[in-house]
Amino acid sequence: MSRGNELPRYSSSREHASGILVAALGSTFGVGLLQATGFLTDLFDTGGGGTLQVALASVALVFILLALYVAAIVTANTFGTIVAGRARSIALLRLVGASAHTLRRSVAREGLRVGAVGAAIGAVAGLAISHTALRIGIATGTLPDVAYRAIDPLIVLPVAMVVLTTWLASHVGSRAVLGVSPLQATGAAEEPAPGDENRHVVRLVFAILLVAGGTGMLALGILLGLVSPAGIIVAFFGGIASFSGVVLGARWILPATLRLVGRLFGRSSPVTLAAANAVRYPERSTRTTVGLVIGVTLVTTFAVAMTSYESFLFSEYPDSAGDPSLTITIAVLGGLIGFSAIIAAVGMVNNLSLSVLQRTRELGLLRALGFTSPQVRRMILAESAQMTIAAAGLGVLLGIGYGWAGAQALLGSLAGATLVLPLVPWPLVAMLIVGTAALAWIASIAPSRRATSVSPLTALAAT
Amino acid sequence: MHTPASDSSPIARLETVSKYFGIGSTTVPALDRVSLGIRRGEFTAIMGPSGSGKSTLMHIMAGLDSPTEGRAWLGDTDITNLGDTELTLLRRRRIGFVFQSFNLVPTLDVRGNVLLPFQLDGRAPTPDESAWIDLLLTSLGLRDRLGHRPHQLSGGQQQRVAIARALGTRPDLVFADEPTGNLDSRTGREVLALLATAAREYGQSIAMVTHDPIAASSADRVIFLADGRIVDDRARSSAEDISRFMLSMERAA
Repeated sequence: MSRGNELPRYSSSREHASGILVAALGSTFGVGLLQATGFLTDLFDTGGGGTLQVALASVALVFILLALYVAAIVTANTFGTIVAGRARSIALLRLVGASAHTLRRSVAREGLRVGAVGAAIGAVAGLAISHTALRIGIATGTLPDVAYRAIDPLIVLPVAMVVLTTWLASHVGSRAVLGVSPLQATGAAEEPAPGDENRHVVRLVFAILLVAGGTGMLALGILLGLVSPAGIIVAFFGGIASFSGVVLGARWILPATLRLVGRLFGRSSPVTLAAANAVRYPERSTRTTVGLVIGVTLVTTFAVAMTSYESFLFSEYPDSAGDPSLTITIAVLGGLIGFSAIIAAVGMVNNLSLSVLQRTRELGLLRALGFTSPQVRRMILAESAQMTIAAAGLGVLLGIGYGWAGAQALLGSLAGATLVLPLVPWPLVAMLIVGTAALAWIASIAPSRRATSVSPLTALAAT
Repeated sequence: MHTPASDSSPIARLETVSKYFGIGSTTVPALDRVSLGIRRGEFTAIMGPSGSGKSTLMHIMAGLDSPTEGRAWLGDTDITNLGDTELTLLRRRRIGFVFQSFNLVPTLDVRGNVLLPFQLDGRAPTPDESAWIDLLLTSLGLRDRLGHRPHQLSGGQQQRVAIARALGTRPDLVFADEPTGNLDSRTGREVLALLATAAREYGQSIAMVTHDPIAASSADRVIFLADGRIVDDRARSSAEDISRFMLSMERAA
């Protein structure tokens, strides 16, 4: 398709700021991590032929892939939100003759640009951060002043992966373009009718199969784990399968969770409306929260598995207690996993802001009918709080389950074919609670400001 | 809620209200020293071509916008300089709205939408108010649709829900902004008849902004606006008379 065929773009920097930020975070993480493995190679692998770097980079790649996986899910959902907000303009273009596939390609091209810009920013940031850390290390005498490489060629890898995953994610996320009817431009449809139920049924069946099959494999892995540590391998794939099922079925699981959480908030009108909003559009609230569920599940799984592993080591080998290298290893690995959760949190904040900003009309109506500005603010805060609590809560529960299953499958046989109790790292839970509250509040700032600055008049005029 | 016929003070009033848009040399007057009283218990139509200032007039009377000059009253309340919160409470308790595009809250069902003004006020309707709402829902034919969401209703049904919502609190004044604009002509006539009935039988004061002569012909009184000024103010008229007057306005312009 030629450049002259380019469709009018509505991409505002506001819409894509979130995608660029997520891509940049992923790229910063990947570039910084690989550059750090390069520095470590320069430091330790003098004449070792690079085997150390292969080993280090392979470990680093696991964490980079994990972070990029979360980033891709977050980005796909952000693009879903963007497309939902553009439904009317997309419908108009369809009305005057643009094909749905052309429009979708045009959205995906925006994704490619977002990925490229984000990856470039992240590459610069990753290099800057790793070099600054290196200089500080040398200056303070923590690291010896040997010849370190300036740029590790391997950083091309995460940069390319970020561009590709963002592009792919924007393509997946722009799927909704295909469902926009040209009729929506005529104002005949107030609200898109519920989508193709058949597709949903297929999806539900797949989700149930994955969850059931995956849980079965997890159980099998735990049983095998009573005999051999190799049970962890079966449990690992069971975990992946069942969690994929949860992600696929998030559209049914999350609204139910939200309904449950919504009840805890009382019955005042802003809160009731917030609960209704969160549940009314399962697609919208799922898009907003699924990234956070994944991030929190990952962190919790890791933390529970590690805490269980650590306490098992201490009970079996009392000498290892207080071994600083073990503590440091756990802390470093925790930090690396935590990065995925940060990406998820950033994505959640942006997605929620974006979806509330798209509801200018609805907020204007409430203002016209007599909702005061503080009431609108309370409604948005309640909505944001319900979503973060539901997502984080679900993630913690899943994470405890998976973490325990992993620890049990790995350690069951070593502990003498007995059950290991799941050890919940309470500091982490406390951190999650504080983090969740902060997240809910941060996510509501931008929309609240907007909601109180928009006069009911302009909002209603925006037909 | 019947209002004694002797009560002749207007339910809403504008006193030499002007409204300018833009700044500096690009200032455009949307309203030019307009004085007007909306009478209690009457169904008043405000007519005029696009850009005549009729929407601005309604927005100022409804406390959605403030005049550049002059004063606006709702009953005995001077609303000209009220703050945002006071205006919000005023809209919630003393004004009802019916919009062209229905503007129901998509997340709430019919009952939720009708009860929304009470919910916003953080209270349940009194038994008296509940009886009134029941009567409204029955006479508007919405009894068996209470659990439906807006997208499950036809345009006419949605507009009837909006009317029930607007009348539910028995506000001082209901504003209807092109209430038939999105409806087919038969459904539109039904909606107009409902508004006329609300004024005649329940003494509900209604101000309707429209550019449709047929819609205006169902009102007790028709006010014509052109270029931000009132150019005519007449009692109930036929659609033909209203059309003729509109055409003569066009020619004079």
